Amino acid sequence: MKLLRAVLLALLLGWAIPALALVAVPQLTGRVVDQTGTLSSGDIAQLTQKLADLQTRKGSQIAVLIVPTTDGEPIEQFSLRVAEAWKIGRKKVDDGALLVVAKNDRRLRIEVGYGLEGALTDVTTKRIIDEDITPKFKGGDFAGGISAGVGRMIGLVNGEKLPEPEPAAHWDNPDQWLDVLFNPFWLMAAIFVSGILRGALGRLGGSILAGAIAAVLGLFLFGTVIAALAAGALAFIITLFIDFSSSGRGSGGWSGGSSSSGWSSGSSSSSGGFSGGGGSFGGGGASGSW
Amino acid sequence: MRKLFTILATLSCLSLTNCGYNAIQSNEEQVKSSWSEVVNQYQRRADLVPNLVNSVKGFAQQEKDVLLGVTNARAKVGSVQATPEVLNDPAAFQKFTQAQGELSSALSRLLVVTENYPQLKSDSLFKDLMAQLEGTENRITVARNRYIKAVQEYNVGIRTFPNNLTAMAFGYKPKPNFSVDNEKEISVAPKVDFTPAPAPSK
Repeated sequence: MKLLRAVLLALLLGWAIPALALVAVPQLTGRVVDQTGTLSSGDIAQLTQKLADLQTRKGSQIAVLIVPTTDGEPIEQFSLRVAEAWKIGRKKVDDGALLVVAKNDRRLRIEVGYGLEGALTDVTTKRIIDEDITPKFKGGDFAGGISAGVGRMIGLVNGEKLPEPEPAAHWDNPDQWLDVLFNPFWLMAAIFVSGILRGALGRLGGSILAGAIAAVLGLFLFGTVIAALAAGALAFIITLFIDFSSSGRGSGGWSGGSSSSGWSSGSSSSSGGFSGGGGSFGGGGASGSW
Repeated sequence: MRKLFTILATLSCLSLTNCGYNAIQSNEEQVKSSWSEVVNQYQRRADLVPNLVNSVKGFAQQEKDVLLGVTNARAKVGSVQATPEVLNDPAAFQKFTQAQGELSSALSRLLVVTENYPQLKSDSLFKDLMAQLEGTENRITVARNRYIKAVQEYNVGIRTFPNNLTAMAFGYKPKPNFSVDNEKEISVAPKVDFTPAPAPSK
């Protein structure tokens, strides 16, 4: 029995090891991910600020990654894996770009998303690498090289016509609550929750509780008492009168089509967290070495 | 009772998963669109070739054989059909990949030759064309990888049970995949030759 277990363990490890051969895609912890400790925290902060400004101004996302090595994997393949995992750039617009430096391999690559291939063409990115980045890298000035390269990339993206970025915090406008309240998504959620509450507490009890919850939520999200009262009243009425107990499948069908654009804007500019916007990449860009 | 059960099973199969018919349709569309992307990138490479040949001619016109080889390979690529119908005809697919492979070999021969001309290598137009060529080759690789994945999904879909029955009923065949063109050639280690190349004649 012990032998069998040992053999099984050996087989499992054998299967796991080939998967370890490729360097793992690093976590997207911020706009600048430095696994080698090359950049000082001041440099990282400066770069992050520049890149965040770009996103606020144009909507496009650029990220920087410094790894020690790609372990034999061609940097083109590694960069594409990272870009496909991080999904920098806006969905459908695909305006993302990634600067990857493999420090010990002395190779770097600028990976460009589909939407930026007009601004950051193969020739232009090769020039950025050859003229701005590698001369500084050869002199040991990594922070300067990356800063110069990123600066030029930002300059080129600035000149490119891209869809306007979503406005920052949608909820800041107190008059928006009317649109949102009658948003089909909220109504559907209210109907669903009201069904549960009514089942638990009976018709009147469920309606009162639903009204209370909705009022609190309304006050919290919109900040005005009127919005809270309206939300509470709506939830109360829905729970009291609308009986959707048998139509679970119907409401499931609703949620497919009805999400308003107000939702997506909130998530992309949350304070502190940086995440890719769903952009895709096609292998454009250029590589270089020093 | 068993008849009823069979009927129920068939009906549920038809309604729940359409016996894989929809999956086959969407996989096939995915294959077609990845194939179009592959063809698109190969076309992009073919479009770079005339400029590349002209810029090399400016510095190395005596390398007539190599330049002619590239021009001919590009002409051959232009004459081979590359529509999605190619996917249903293994012979046409073979012709396409062979023509592209020949252009790849001709281009690499040209690049080897340009190593002898330092003036050419530092010419900015040539450098730009090289950057574009490298970028295009990378895009071709990415497009091919995505095509291979799409074909794999499609082929697995029509070969596994029970969807293979649907596939057979409607006549769906496996689609061709890229193979290494010259497996024998690649399995031989490349010869490294350090004898200095003859100096270019003026």
